[in-house]
Amino acid sequence: VAEEGVDVLEVAKSAVDAAMKAGATFADARVGTDLTESITVRNQQMEGIDRGESTGVGVRVLVDGRWGFASTARLDEAEIARTAGVAVELARAATRLPGDPVRLDHVEPVVDSWRSPMNEDPFTVPLEEKVALLMEATRRAQQVKGVTFAEGGLDFFRRSTWFASSDGAAIDQVTTQSGGGIEAVAIGEGDMQRRSFPNSFRGHISAAGWEHIRTLALIEEAERTGREAVELLAAPECPSEVTTIVLDSGQVELQIHESIGHPVELDRVLGMEEAYAGSSWLKPQDRGKVRYASPLVSITADATLSGGLGSFGYDDEGVAAQRTPVIVDGIFENFLTNRETAPVVGQDSNGTSRADGWSHLPLIRMTNISIEPREGTLADIIGDTEDGLFMATNQSWSIDDKRINFQFGCEIAWRIRKGKLTQVYKNPNYTGITPEFWGSCDAVGGRESWMLWGTPNCGKGQPGQVARVGHGASPARFRDVRVGVRG
Amino acid sequence: MPGLIGADGFHRTAEAALGLEGVDGVEVLFLHEWGGLTRFAKSEIHQSAWREDTGLHVRVVRDGRVGVATSNDFSPEGALRAARSAKEMVDVVAPDPMWPGLAGPAEPAVREAFDDATADASAERRAEAVATLIAGCPDRFTAAGAFETRAIEVGIANTQGQRCWAPSTQASLTVVTSGGESGNGFAEVFSGRMQDVDPEAVGARAADKAVASQNPKPLDPGVYPVVLEPAAVSTLTGFLAYVGFGGRSLIEGRSCFSGKEGEKVAADSISIWDDASDPSTLGVPFDFEGVPRQRVDLIEDGVFLGAVYDRRTAKEAGRDSTGHGLPAPNPEGPFPLNLFLATGDASVEDMVAATERGVLVTRFHYSNVVNPVESSITGMTRDGTFLIENGEIVGPVMNFRFTQSILDALSDVSMIGADPELASEFFFSAARVPALKVERFNFSGRSDH
Repeated sequence: VAEEGVDVLEVAKSAVDAAMKAGATFADARVGTDLTESITVRNQQMEGIDRGESTGVGVRVLVDGRWGFASTARLDEAEIARTAGVAVELARAATRLPGDPVRLDHVEPVVDSWRSPMNEDPFTVPLEEKVALLMEATRRAQQVKGVTFAEGGLDFFRRSTWFASSDGAAIDQVTTQSGGGIEAVAIGEGDMQRRSFPNSFRGHISAAGWEHIRTLALIEEAERTGREAVELLAAPECPSEVTTIVLDSGQVELQIHESIGHPVELDRVLGMEEAYAGSSWLKPQDRGKVRYASPLVSITADATLSGGLGSFGYDDEGVAAQRTPVIVDGIFENFLTNRETAPVVGQDSNGTSRADGWSHLPLIRMTNISIEPREGTLADIIGDTEDGLFMATNQSWSIDDKRINFQFGCEIAWRIRKGKLTQVYKNPNYTGITPEFWGSCDAVGGRESWMLWGTPNCGKGQPGQVARVGHGASPARFRDVRVGVRG
Repeated sequence: MPGLIGADGFHRTAEAALGLEGVDGVEVLFLHEWGGLTRFAKSEIHQSAWREDTGLHVRVVRDGRVGVATSNDFSPEGALRAARSAKEMVDVVAPDPMWPGLAGPAEPAVREAFDDATADASAERRAEAVATLIAGCPDRFTAAGAFETRAIEVGIANTQGQRCWAPSTQASLTVVTSGGESGNGFAEVFSGRMQDVDPEAVGARAADKAVASQNPKPLDPGVYPVVLEPAAVSTLTGFLAYVGFGGRSLIEGRSCFSGKEGEKVAADSISIWDDASDPSTLGVPFDFEGVPRQRVDLIEDGVFLGAVYDRRTAKEAGRDSTGHGLPAPNPEGPFPLNLFLATGDASVEDMVAATERGVLVTRFHYSNVVNPVESSITGMTRDGTFLIENGEIVGPVMNFRFTQSILDALSDVSMIGADPELASEFFFSAARVPALKVERFNFSGRSDH
């Protein structure tokens, strides 16, 4: 919409004005435009190529201490006023039940612009170049004898947001994200094995431009990816035992996401997500008291990192991006908060309120939740392990409603014997209890093995919202873990 | 106020895209949705939202080269812009040798699935229902959940002359009641009409479960007989659809049913089919390619009969589409959205009475695939898990992790419920399923609550 010469911030301000006129005591509005492009190739054929665009405005209000939120795709003046009125009606209806009124923390209103870093705009790179990259990468994987199909995908995403509030904030932001990956699948008698590169579920996504795709080495790694898929078909099943496991940084990413990122969301802790995604094993009074992990583990929420899917200038409440220690040397220190929940723990928001675009109410969402690097490479950790399993690349995940009991599957595992990788196993998985598992961590890789991964599919809320979040992760080692769970 | 755009309104907009020159064919998929959701927690309404959005998915083809563009600009200009964007893609991609062509004219069944009262439901009506539910909460217990009312219209128009359009409404109320010492209770209802949602009854069911769930005891993991209530059964059927019932995974050998057509895969009492035309589900009578949805018998008397197909996978399989295409592009292939599992003659009480020692499961949580070819999945129990001894529920137990082959579970079914419920494992589909008693079910771990 900005390209059409409209002062979009003024549209957002008009929505705020309409809401205040309708009776709101506080209002904010986000006009947003999402652009997407997705390309998928399988076995040298186009599986799909699509582009999408979505524009609209969401208005959030407080009336008598209750929230109302309404959104519309039509940006004419009358529709915006109507939508603001609907938001006020919703908030008024919420007063039908008694309850503590919402009180927001104090935030100095900001007037600013922010852009995520990008060298080469992925939306202007010719489609031919994108398709050619995937064709060549999948051709190389498919050349490996025994590969049934090879698939490659590229995804590009741009979100433009114009935010205004009745406090006087006026912020425009643009985030551009690029990602890509390949996978090879080998199908045998009653068996299917998959290897992905650089990560599963559409690869490695970063808040960057086409230059990120150039660094992925999809073509260079395609043949190895195919070979490993075929090798897995002939490999034995991961044994069932209790042992030491080393996880690659891609799996540590999801382990952080599910067993640390979600349970430290303060809205979950306060029961606000109880009926759907669940709550948390943590309590508000646990800050500074609970040992969450071994002293080697420090976790930080950092929206100021460059290149993360959870990086931004301001969250969807106009709160500046921040770096917050979540776990320090194994002790739980801070929740992820927003303006509504932070006062419950005597704090101001640490800036994690984000919505799935203009049509959704902002919720507490992970930013970039990362493990702080310690020492050594993956090879160093494996070399230092007498006996155990090295598991790589997430395949599946499951965790209970309080984020205590989890089970993860990986694509591949290797037996570690006297510091060397030996036997390959298929269908590896492991299970554990969150504080016990993190408490058993006795090695975390250093900066040289740390990767800032993107998780573009984090689900939460009703109606369902999908967030794009980041996780910095090094490979790590855990002791006495149950592996090889079978049905 | 929002309202139906209608077939004529949709077709007027679609014509701008269908008139695109220099291509062999154009298809416009139209989605329009509006509605509100009242969300509550700790017995307070904490989030209330309303939204309206439109979507145009324009698929363009030339010489078997296919591109898709989507936009929420529901205007002739927006439709044409999306069509031109899709044409740009067509200009650079390789032909799809399996391109089946666009759907030809075919009249889908007419279904009366639109309820004005549900489409127009006000925030006050939803808040009133939530207040009624919460008023029934026992002392020291609170309720959390959501009451949603939605209206949806879907349309397809293409240059082969296919034109279809269908409006529908949905209402759902979900509640988790918690409090006391520890232990939750869950209940949920889905319907096409708001008036079918009885907040008092839903709340009472969740409250009864919550009261009965207080102070759960640890029980050793292991293989137990289980009584699965319908919400838990919908997890099994939902994941079976995901890992098995799609024609594409069947053709490619990725399905747990690949190579098993005509073979016994479940107990004799198990029959599963997909039928969007059944008025007791929330189906649309055509798929997202404009093909009328057919009833497909997937498992009959325990024997796997076949999968569902869209146009592309049907061509690959040398057969006709069954009308189960998803919006293009769709690398996952076709999917059954309206599953049914045949009922039996037992009640949940009968199943409990017939169990010497076992576990009753209200629902599962956050399940995921362990091994698709073996149909094995893992997940957690939640919001009401009970130990059964000597034919009676003797008390709540802490939540289990299960790791279990779905087909093995369906092969061990000994009793089937008489009263099916509409339940949804995935937000975009629903299954009408009864309770089941399964003689062997593998609980592989346990949580602390």
